[in-house]
Amino acid sequence: MKKASPFSPAGRVVIQVLMLVLVLGSLLPLYNVVSSSLKSIDEYTTNPIMLPRAVTPENYQYAAFKGLLLRFTANTLMFVPAALALYLVVCVSAGYAFGKMRFAFRRPLFLVVLFMSIFPQLLLATQVAKLISLMHLTNTGFGVILAWVAYFSPFGTYIMTTYFADMPYELVEAARIDGASQTRILAQIMAPLAMPMIATITIIGFQSMWNELPFSMLILQKESVRTVTVGIAVLRGQYGLRVPILSAALVIAMAVPMLMFIVFQRYITLGATAGAIKG
Amino acid sequence: MRHRGLERDGAAPYLFLAPLLALLALFIIYPVVMNIVVSFTEWKGYGPWRWIGLDNYKAMVADDQFWTSIRNTGLMILYIPLSTIVTVLIAALLREGIRGWKAYRAILYIPNLLGYVLMGVIFSIYLRDDGPVNAALKWLTGSMVHFLIDPAIAINSVGLLLVVWLHLGFGLIYFLAAMNGIDKSIYEAALIDGASFWHTLFKVTIPSVRFAVEFWVVFNFIEVFARMFSFIQTFTQGGPGYSTFTLEYGIFITGFSKFKVGYSSAWSVVLFVFCAIISVAQIRLMKRRDA
Repeated sequence: MKKASPFSPAGRVVIQVLMLVLVLGSLLPLYNVVSSSLKSIDEYTTNPIMLPRAVTPENYQYAAFKGLLLRFTANTLMFVPAALALYLVVCVSAGYAFGKMRFAFRRPLFLVVLFMSIFPQLLLATQVAKLISLMHLTNTGFGVILAWVAYFSPFGTYIMTTYFADMPYELVEAARIDGASQTRILAQIMAPLAMPMIATITIIGFQSMWNELPFSMLILQKESVRTVTVGIAVLRGQYGLRVPILSAALVIAMAVPMLMFIVFQRYITLGATAGAIKG
Repeated sequence: MRHRGLERDGAAPYLFLAPLLALLALFIIYPVVMNIVVSFTEWKGYGPWRWIGLDNYKAMVADDQFWTSIRNTGLMILYIPLSTIVTVLIAALLREGIRGWKAYRAILYIPNLLGYVLMGVIFSIYLRDDGPVNAALKWLTGSMVHFLIDPAIAINSVGLLLVVWLHLGFGLIYFLAAMNGIDKSIYEAALIDGASFWHTLFKVTIPSVRFAVEFWVVFNFIEVFARMFSFIQTFTQGGPGYSTFTLEYGIFITGFSKFKVGYSSAWSVVLFVFCAIISVAQIRLMKRRDA
């Protein structure tokens, strides 16, 4: 069945053209990166726009090994899942406490958490780097993991709180009458029921940590421990680094997020709206 | 969420909150408090402090870079209405179920997926004087646009890209979800009455997603004040000169490149005040929605 539309056929053509322009605006910069990454440095200077006349793998070899992009990707792939595990423990248990438990100062404490969820990283960065260094965690994955989890937890906690608060209280009450401890209620009843929202905050946390720059930049100063974003930002700042090599580095850095998007598109779409739209 | 007649949960809630509260105390509250303290001192980020009272603040208001940063941040705010109009309008068009809307929504989300660091580098290559856009412009019109070299164009490129373009995909998903909650029969009735798209947009769609629009504006304020660093660092690196400095970027340069941490903390205090105002606005909005 054809859906009724308020647009005339001409109007629909105008809209499709508009959307096509936007799609091109979105894809052309990416096309440029992929196409440049396959050109030799000589070819790029004479042919910055069109597809490569001769495809070369050189830039990828350089970016992956000499530019250490594979190393940086492996680092991020180690740090982010470890940080996510800690982040989920922190957000789910705090979200459950705020959403379903009764205690003094619940409301003011929750407001403090909300208040802190938007602070700029640059406001905290100097002192966070100093603290991490006092804890002898500079240049370690654990250092950056602590900073990430601390910084991204308030928002994850907020989302979990609203979700737990909307769940029927009878679930908790029935389990308590059976004599279950709060830890068991959370682990065996409430957390499994909250799986859709836990999946959503996992995606949000993944994206936030994967794309994080300021903390990683200050905590991971040694080349061998850098994450992808730090590696890319440092390459970008290297004077005289040729565009095709930088492009190859970008393509390598894009691989994991793109793969995630293809596999988890539905959850990513849900994650984008969590916390702002009720229900 | 008051559960009357039930006793409190004793110590358990505090144990559940302990990891969060410990992390926040250490990595957010302590840094903010220290920032305020350090803003009254001369400090390189290491070694001893020297108490200098309000000198950092006096230097700040006499600093051209500070006022450029404030002006630039203000200029970014001016892009928020454009971002709101464009995003709501395109979401409303997609809502009508035009052919391919799901694919459009997915493709336009890609910049959000790749994040500010990658998008900053991608656009720095794309818009260079010897990059593909200028090669095309030169071929088509014979002249170039110095996106990254002309100060006025550079900061407006940042505004257009960061505030309007890079959020579009996220905004579409966000507003489409909000519009999905509107009763479909209203649109069907409007269609039978022969109401135009614009009429329904202003009379039905926008009033129904009023909260979402307000959240969108607050979200954009947060982006402008608190989330721009990664993009500026990779797109323009604050340049040319200091023409694309924002408050955040200025804190970074004075604190980490020039090691004037006491001085950069004074900037941080200013940024903190702005962000506290935005945060309070956001909390009030949430309370109003949940009421």
